Amino acid sequence: MLSLQHISKYYQAGGNKNYVINDISLDVDEGEFVSIMGPSGSGKSTLLNIIGMLDEPSEGYHYFVNEAVHQLKEKKRAALYKQYIGFVFQAYHLIDELTVYENIETPLIYQDVKGSERKAMVADMLDRFQIVGKKDLFPAQLSGGQQQLVGIARALIAKPKLILADEPTGNLNSKQGEEIMELFSKLNKEDGVTIIQVTHSEKNAEYGSRIINLLDGRIESSRKF
Amino acid sequence: MIKNYFKIAWRNLWKNKAYSLINIGGLTAGIAVALLIGLWVSYQYSYDKFLPNYGQSYQVRRNFNSNGDTLTFSTTSLKLADALRNGYPEIEYVAEADENRAHGLAVGDTKLSLDGIQAGSDFLKIFRFPFLQGNANGLRDPYSIIITESTAKALFGNKDAMNQLIKVDNKDNLKVTGIIKDIPSNSSLQFNYIIPFSYFEIADPGVKEARNQSFGSNGFVLYAKLKDGIKYKQIAPKIKNLEKYEDNLNAKNSDVIMQPIQDWHLYNTYTNGKALGGFINYVRTFSIIGILVLVIACINFVNLTTARSEKRAREVGIRKAIGSKRKQLIVQFLTESILITFIALFFALLLVQLVLPSFRLLTGNSITIPFNRFYFWLIVTGAAFATAILAGSRPAFYLSSFNPVQVLKGTLKTASGAIFSRKALVVIQFSCSIALIISTVIIYQQIQYAKNRPTGYTLNRLVTTITNSDLRRNMDALKNDLLQSGAVSSLTTASSPATGVWWHSDVENFPGKNTGETVEMGTILVSADYFKTLGMQLKAGHDFVNDIKADSNSVILNEAAVKRLRLKEPLGQYITKFGRRMTIIGVVKDALMDSPFQSADPTMFFFDGGSNIIYRLSPNINTHQAIDKIAAIFNKYSPAYQYTYHFVDEDYNKKFNLEVLVGKLAGIFAGLAIFISCLGLFGLAAYVAEQRTKEIGVRKVLGATVTQVWILLSKDFIVLVIVSCIIASPIALYFLQNWLYKYAYRISIGPEVFVLSAIAAIIITLATISFQAIKAAIANPVKSLRSE
Repeated sequence: MLSLQHISKYYQAGGNKNYVINDISLDVDEGEFVSIMGPSGSGKSTLLNIIGMLDEPSEGYHYFVNEAVHQLKEKKRAALYKQYIGFVFQAYHLIDELTVYENIETPLIYQDVKGSERKAMVADMLDRFQIVGKKDLFPAQLSGGQQQLVGIARALIAKPKLILADEPTGNLNSKQGEEIMELFSKLNKEDGVTIIQVTHSEKNAEYGSRIINLLDGRIESSRKF
Repeated sequence: MIKNYFKIAWRNLWKNKAYSLINIGGLTAGIAVALLIGLWVSYQYSYDKFLPNYGQSYQVRRNFNSNGDTLTFSTTSLKLADALRNGYPEIEYVAEADENRAHGLAVGDTKLSLDGIQAGSDFLKIFRFPFLQGNANGLRDPYSIIITESTAKALFGNKDAMNQLIKVDNKDNLKVTGIIKDIPSNSSLQFNYIIPFSYFEIADPGVKEARNQSFGSNGFVLYAKLKDGIKYKQIAPKIKNLEKYEDNLNAKNSDVIMQPIQDWHLYNTYTNGKALGGFINYVRTFSIIGILVLVIACINFVNLTTARSEKRAREVGIRKAIGSKRKQLIVQFLTESILITFIALFFALLLVQLVLPSFRLLTGNSITIPFNRFYFWLIVTGAAFATAILAGSRPAFYLSSFNPVQVLKGTLKTASGAIFSRKALVVIQFSCSIALIISTVIIYQQIQYAKNRPTGYTLNRLVTTITNSDLRRNMDALKNDLLQSGAVSSLTTASSPATGVWWHSDVENFPGKNTGETVEMGTILVSADYFKTLGMQLKAGHDFVNDIKADSNSVILNEAAVKRLRLKEPLGQYITKFGRRMTIIGVVKDALMDSPFQSADPTMFFFDGGSNIIYRLSPNINTHQAIDKIAAIFNKYSPAYQYTYHFVDEDYNKKFNLEVLVGKLAGIFAGLAIFISCLGLFGLAAYVAEQRTKEIGVRKVLGATVTQVWILLSKDFIVLVIVSCIIASPIALYFLQNWLYKYAYRISIGPEVFVLSAIAAIIITLATISFQAIKAAIANPVKSLRSE
């Protein structure tokens, strides 16, 4: 599904290059559930952002569904991104001014989905996550776990092939975290959605089919189950 | 404590440079506009006030009852002058005068044509213009003249002019008996010299005759001074009916009134016999505009400061936590607004000083900033404090109200009330600005509409010269020479210039006249070729036959006059005028000799001729050459006078002066208002973009394009501007219709102006906020999201 080859990301600091990602090569197949682990500052989030095309690498080759992302124009890249990728954040990043329903609907609006179709899709998603009763509430009125559920629902609404989750359970208690991970694993197994998550928790990482350990911008180890 | 406040205020200004720049820039523009308008308004109010004891001076006028309508005339009879002078102990002085007009003044080889007046001997006791030499008794001897400093300089150079002789109108030598300071531009009376009225009576037998005529023969201006302590109220009822005992229609229908000098300039329009309006309406309108522009600038300050409150909230929380009282915080924030206002005031004074020369040129007023006057500084600092309080109060009270616990925990949310009032204030700003834009457009449309109005005669290459006694004597030869020279294609003389009707008089009788009905119509005495020279078209009948005997019993009317007299078949009918039966031999199409904004004046033309020589330059000769040639011929026949001339089209364009001035001022102030409003919007857009950084980041991650984010950020502002348009349009419509109402010839206001103004406002708004919106839209979302 995606392939990174000799990807580096660095910042120029005086005469030195300050590497955040240092020559990483990585292939992820469709249907995989990858957990990226590592201490703070090891480059986990940056790697995820590069995979998600929110950030550009300084060097290296990036292929996604057989397209050479490093050669694509901004517009094409945005289209590719819209079609295939959904993001889940640690801080949920829901829009405070919008209701649950509207938050989930927003990606569809940006993909020019028709009004009636949008309605059906959002209703379906609310139903599936059992948050129909909360659809008119604002994010501030929800618990953290509920907010993350909405965040995931929003990431899934456009039927992405790949979900990128940046410490999705970081702000949740363990029970809520477990529920989210169960959901991910179900999505991965039943719907075949590829998932790449960044996590600190060994336990959560084990929901995945592969664990990659980063240290100082390099892949220290990679285990498949 | 105060020192500490100023220190903090200064550091805050310095730290937020862009924000301070917007605030100070907006306030500077606002204060500069208010200051400029303030100076202009105070200049308008300063008219005639330089005259000592000016409050007791009056001009005598007549309220004439014309079939139920009251018309106010400024011309009076000499009989009235004598009646007022001799019959009323409350009146100290009376002076008769004529209108300011050109005479030839010659000293040796220096010949000038200058405007001056002829006035009764007490004129300078009523109007105490300051003397450099001589005194107010200088007009007692008929053969004397009082001149201004500049006139003395122009005629005598650096020599002492006192007691020297000036030859006036190539006739008599008048002795200079006084030199007065130049008349300031804020004087309603303007002249370069005063000739005694007693000389006028000697030089012009017609005037001497008028002295013995009835109240009806009005042709002079009359001034009076009441004794100190006497109020006009006391004498008004006594003089009101003074003409009525005389048995003539004109006198019977006239009330005598006086207008105090302080009203001359501002209350110059009489309606129904009362001077309730006039120029004062413009002075008031612009005063309001000045205040509005200042308010717009203050709103910027209020909005930007409250919008940034979140940034200041921490400071407020900490200060409160360490024991600051709310009052102290209010004082602190007010100190900031005072500091900003005074910095803005400084720049505004600088700016006004810089633009004053152009403003003087535009308005034709000699306005200066009275830096050395105590009251000026008193008013300006007072107004600046008021502005600072006006602009600073809301932010001060709002910011100081924060709950320190909420603030420090970071749970403070901007109250929805604050957001609503911010939007309301933006709507006020834009409503004012848009109303001003609409007004400017409509004023220009009206001017253009009147300018494009068919005048009924051809202005182009038409020239007027006022005759003098020498020219009058040689008129036939002059006409011949001018036509022969090839420079002039046609020439006539008339009692009024092409761009004015100097004389209105009563038609004594006409077919179908009602008993007691009076009909005042424009009266112009013309000589041969009048209609041909002016390019006026005969609609029916024929022109004068150029035979003094045959034509002396003929009259030509314009269409408006025919209508006024209610004549169905005018040709061949008789009217009575000058005690004679006159046959209507022709009807000419209406020509706009008076106001281009009003309907054509009903006018009758009689065959006689007058003091205006009107001639048209030949089409195929260069204007310069033509004038040179013509000057030579004029100088041949009147060597004692300087040749002067007016182009009729220029005179005609002067009729638009007031409207053009108002249009330009409105345009400038509208531009500044929208500029200041946009400055505020720019700041607000920056604030909103900053506040919504996270949201924009999320939306971009969810797939929003730059365009979509741009629309998202612009939408709210555009809605506000549209609301403003909806509010501004009917208000502007109401005021402009009132304004247009006084013009008989006026545009009808269509919807296009409002639509176009709205579109313009939206485009300007978009241009202003797009910079911020696009900047926010293209920012990398990773940065904003990481900051969580």
